[in-house]
Amino acid sequence: MLLLNSRRNGEVRFVVLALTLLSLLFVSCLPKPLSETGGGTNLTLYGFSIMKEVLEKAIYPGFSAKWKSEHGHEVRFTSSFAGSETITNQILLGVKADIGIFSIERDADRLKQGGFVTSDWQQYPHKGVINKTPFVILVRKGNPKAIKDFADLAKRGVGVIHPDPISSGGAQWSVLAIYGSELMKSEKESGGPDQARALQTLRAIWRNVKSTPGSAREARTQFETGFGDALITYELEGLLMKDANSPIDVVIPRSTIFSEHPAVVIDRYVSPADRPIVNAFLQYLWTEEAQRAFVKYHFRSITNEELNNEHTQFGTIEMPFTIDYFGGWSRAYPEIIEKVFRDQVQNVK
Amino acid sequence: MGSVFSSMRHVRGFDVARPLSIGMLVFMMLPLVFLPLASIFIFGTSKGLDSFWAALMAPEAIFALKLSMVTSFWATAFNVIFGLFAAYVLSRYNFWGRNALIVTISLPTAIPTAVAGFALLLLWGPYGTLGRYLAPHGIEMMFTAGAIILANIFVTFPLAFGVIKPVFDTMSRSLEEASATIGATRVQTFWHVTLPSLRGAIVSGALLTFARAVGEFGSTILVSGNLAGRTQTAPLYIFAKFNEGQIEAANAIAIVLALFSFLIFSVLFFARDWLDVE
Repeated sequence: MLLLNSRRNGEVRFVVLALTLLSLLFVSCLPKPLSETGGGTNLTLYGFSIMKEVLEKAIYPGFSAKWKSEHGHEVRFTSSFAGSETITNQILLGVKADIGIFSIERDADRLKQGGFVTSDWQQYPHKGVINKTPFVILVRKGNPKAIKDFADLAKRGVGVIHPDPISSGGAQWSVLAIYGSELMKSEKESGGPDQARALQTLRAIWRNVKSTPGSAREARTQFETGFGDALITYELEGLLMKDANSPIDVVIPRSTIFSEHPAVVIDRYVSPADRPIVNAFLQYLWTEEAQRAFVKYHFRSITNEELNNEHTQFGTIEMPFTIDYFGGWSRAYPEIIEKVFRDQVQNVK
Repeated sequence: MGSVFSSMRHVRGFDVARPLSIGMLVFMMLPLVFLPLASIFIFGTSKGLDSFWAALMAPEAIFALKLSMVTSFWATAFNVIFGLFAAYVLSRYNFWGRNALIVTISLPTAIPTAVAGFALLLLWGPYGTLGRYLAPHGIEMMFTAGAIILANIFVTFPLAFGVIKPVFDTMSRSLEEASATIGATRVQTFWHVTLPSLRGAIVSGALLTFARAVGEFGSTILVSGNLAGRTQTAPLYIFAKFNEGQIEAANAIAIVLALFSFLIFSVLFFARDWLDVE
């Protein structure tokens, strides 16, 4: 009798437990995507890591307000941010993005080769480039390792954080910044670019690299949590960190590259109904309003140098250069990232 | 036996090994488990409960938690039913290839979760082996909640099966035979005799699967598309926030997940006692 009771009791408990679990979870069906509440059009944008703040805080609200006042129609954005190469691979694997903003033009090119981008982004203003920023060195407050230029990163005992060139566009810019900077300086000093010197500096710095995070933003988080003595990254990352009162200093190299970031429409996934909005959004990126927003978030304007001069925190670079110094991405990638960096720096120990 | 031993110890007086070994155990766990967990709580509440609460109530955070729960639930429901069925078939019948099947079911334990995600992409992705034939018909699995469920099913595949099968193996057939001799059908026997003796295993298998699925990261980040407020689960949210340098936001959700697994394993621990009454 007693045995029977305890058995029945156990059964009741089992049913109660099962019912609670089931009812708890059965009722909560898949949550509705946040961007789809309230109607309107939803655009999906994949951006490289450091675009996050300016897009979410200024560009999206700015464009939505503009579109609404002109057309009375709500536009919302859903976005994902990661290393430039990572988001490109995601789109190549079938992620349905309407717009991509990349760190390097090579990624836009890869999407074109894959048939995802059919329109010519270079016909947009400034060949599709929406903003730029130079590559700088971030060091701990007071610069305890006395780092003044790229070459100082090769000194013994300096721990360098450098994003991974496989997944991060910023990492490729950084490699080009170091390599090109040595070429520029040698050209000025001895009249001709000294490839051997540039390779040697790149190798020596790479020996001091302590970790290679997946994106510029990941690299910054590592640096912020106290890892490493120096970080090569976009200038705006340093300025954003200063805004947040991080104990760091920004070191402007004598010569460095300006990274230029293209925005591209992923034609394959843009529905005919959304096309006018997507096109308007792209055009919006070169308006005075958007360019001002970029500068406010420490990108440098591509359309208006006056906006850049108004920004007091931007450093001055003695010998700046762009990707054109290497003959564009179509040459820089195979000749420097692959033949120099991958074959002669990364794979040589 | 046990009581004899303990009384023998008593006769000899104070057993030094007891406090020493317990102390040693706790000491060893301190840097490995306790302190890392404690630091999440310390950091998460360092800026006050208000900012912790605000981080938790962010719409994207709530969405991520909900999505994790729902996708894990469906993966669990599937894997428990499948595990039950597979355990039944594999312990009742002996057939050619049986061992190969058992090994295959257990495989996902050792496969890196990133490989699991990658494999799913290669199969179901818009350009995958199967996906490319489905995509023109508007059927797309990847980068949706469905993809997250598939990934969860894959990585937690062996868990429920692994808990249920040993119970099947050791179950006395005589009860089922007795049931059959008094005229019960196969279904009746399964429902009234076999299933009740499995309930402990089913509940613990389900909880294990659910807990593991909620924490899944490696495969989800590949198949979900990682869109905040759309396909971003709680672990992906934590990773994204950490990468953005918003460590407080990441931490708030980490605390929720830590408490959640604590709850699940507590239930698991106590449930076993009152579910397995014989």
